[in-house]
Amino acid sequence: MNITRRHLMAGSAGLAGAALAGQQAEAQSRLNVGVVLIGPVGDFGWSHMHDQGRRRMAEVLGDRVNATTVESVAPPDFDRVVTQLVRTGHRLIFTTSFSYFVPTQRLAPQHPGVFFENATGPTTLPNMAIYNARFYEGRYIQGVIAARKSRSKTIGYVATFPVPEVISAINTVMRGAWSVDPSMKVRVVWVNAWSNPAREADAARALIDQGCDVLCSHTDGPAPLQLAEQRGIFGFGQASDMTRFAPRAHLTSSVNNWGDYYADRAKAVLDGTWRATDTWGGLGSGMFRMAPFTNMTPEEVSEATRIRDAIAAGTLHPFEGPITRQDGTVVIPAGRRLTDDEIRAQNYFYQGIDVAMP
Amino acid sequence: MTLFEAIILTIITASTPLLIAAIGELVVERSGVLNLGVEGMMVIGAAAGIAAAIATGSSTLGVLVAVLAGMALSLVFAALVLGLAANQVAAGLALAILGLGLSGVIGAPFVGVQRAGIGKIEVPLLSDIPFIGSVLFHQDPFVYASIALVVAVWWFLTKSRAGLVLRAVGENHAAAHALGYPVRRIRLLAILFGGGCAGLAGAYMSLVLTPFWSSGMTAGRGWIALAIVVFASWLPFRAMVGAYLFGALTILQLHAQSAGVPLPSQFLAALPYLITILVLVLIMRARRGGAAGPASLGVPFVPDR
Repeated sequence: MNITRRHLMAGSAGLAGAALAGQQAEAQSRLNVGVVLIGPVGDFGWSHMHDQGRRRMAEVLGDRVNATTVESVAPPDFDRVVTQLVRTGHRLIFTTSFSYFVPTQRLAPQHPGVFFENATGPTTLPNMAIYNARFYEGRYIQGVIAARKSRSKTIGYVATFPVPEVISAINTVMRGAWSVDPSMKVRVVWVNAWSNPAREADAARALIDQGCDVLCSHTDGPAPLQLAEQRGIFGFGQASDMTRFAPRAHLTSSVNNWGDYYADRAKAVLDGTWRATDTWGGLGSGMFRMAPFTNMTPEEVSEATRIRDAIAAGTLHPFEGPITRQDGTVVIPAGRRLTDDEIRAQNYFYQGIDVAMP
Repeated sequence: MTLFEAIILTIITASTPLLIAAIGELVVERSGVLNLGVEGMMVIGAAAGIAAAIATGSSTLGVLVAVLAGMALSLVFAALVLGLAANQVAAGLALAILGLGLSGVIGAPFVGVQRAGIGKIEVPLLSDIPFIGSVLFHQDPFVYASIALVVAVWWFLTKSRAGLVLRAVGENHAAAHALGYPVRRIRLLAILFGGGCAGLAGAYMSLVLTPFWSSGMTAGRGWIALAIVVFASWLPFRAMVGAYLFGALTILQLHAQSAGVPLPSQFLAALPYLITILVLVLIMRARRGGAAGPASLGVPFVPDR
């Protein structure tokens, strides 16, 4: 079932009554799961993939779950939507944005009988788990491929906001690129938006005009990749498989895959084994995967595949020391690697990245 | 192609939707009506344009439908502010929100659909001139149309009798009404023209700049168009200067970042708005108080019978 917020509000009174009157017995065996989305299901990116996850969960668990998606919920509406979901008998609620972290943390103690799951949040509560994917693993692979594909030795990066997640992604792309060719450079443009297609395209134009010939992007849509196609250079997709937007330019996409996690968690509630866990899954656990490698030679494909498998197996770690900051301070020496908390808290560029922090 | 040429070309394409939407709104405001719903009409044009273009396979039809969609939405606004003499600010804001919501519904089935953009037109011979040729005579049809539109609006407002009447309505609707001019009909036509222009600007976004649909893809450009009208102090050629200035600031900001120039991008992104405020202050100072725009701007008109 996929309904908008307004429908949910309008129909909720009736639903609540019906649930109380006749379907109490059925509600016992069936788990109602709510999924709250920050954007429209049709964004072809972040929210779309969470909705795909909801579908996958329904596929795996069949009749045992009943899932409700509420899309485009702005943070001010969040409390109302979640309270309504709780009232209509939803016992497991996925709040799928970092913007929902604080409100979820506030609401969870008020509804101790309901299990909450927040995507990309930093801390847990007794009835609130958190989950995220190791997107940086995909960025490392992008860096390796970019270094193989680039003739100008310059990668262009369409960045969103200077927050640790994005900074860490830029660092990782360059770690991957330097593993192939230490002379690789990156140019970064901050568009200060998650979605503003025309400005993303303008940023991509600026990067290409200044000599970048492989584009990475952090925004939600396919605009930079499309421009790469138009200008005859290469690019990567984000969140979902974007091959069809750029059949000649697309190299690979990092594809989010929440479905198996959602199914596991719903099953845990049904079995009574749910715990407030902190999950940070990656290629190894299948929390995201790489879309098929396209527009690459067989040698390039086999190298990318080898690196992907090594990361998944844990034999290759993108944040192996030594790591030095732009200003020359050593973060960690050789022989150590960044801890998960250190990866999440990167607010500095690595030495060799010739870009000023905004 | 040199980097300089490339930058100029990008500035022109980034400025064109701003210019088209601003010139439409300029005519509306000169008739004494403040339509804050440009963003809504623009985004509905973008959605309807790409929807029609995908459904029919024709870009021309897409553009036509976009213009009609912008006009249709402006008709709702006209019914409120002319028919019911509603508050123009409130009605305009409602229109912006309505347009954003409605465009999501129209665009929903077309998310992720890929289609080729409208190409550029080369003016024979002239486009072979070095630099000038590639910058001025190798553009998409919208760029030529936007410049023609500015010249036409300038001629209409300053040289034609109808334009004089429109301005009279904007300056003092009671006097124009007393002279026997159909104030509301004139304003209706102006609002429709503004809606059509906003729809056309939207079509440029979804059919040329980034040829796909994405929810809310105009991303505030309608509001910038409103700022340009003020910046231009309601004069067509100044609106052109304003649109290109605003477009240039956005693009140069991106290039400065890419080249590693240490300027805060947030400041550069805010610059167009700061300049608008500055210009407004300067206009008010130069006029020593009094109205900077058309005197009847935003005032509801109810004909006495």
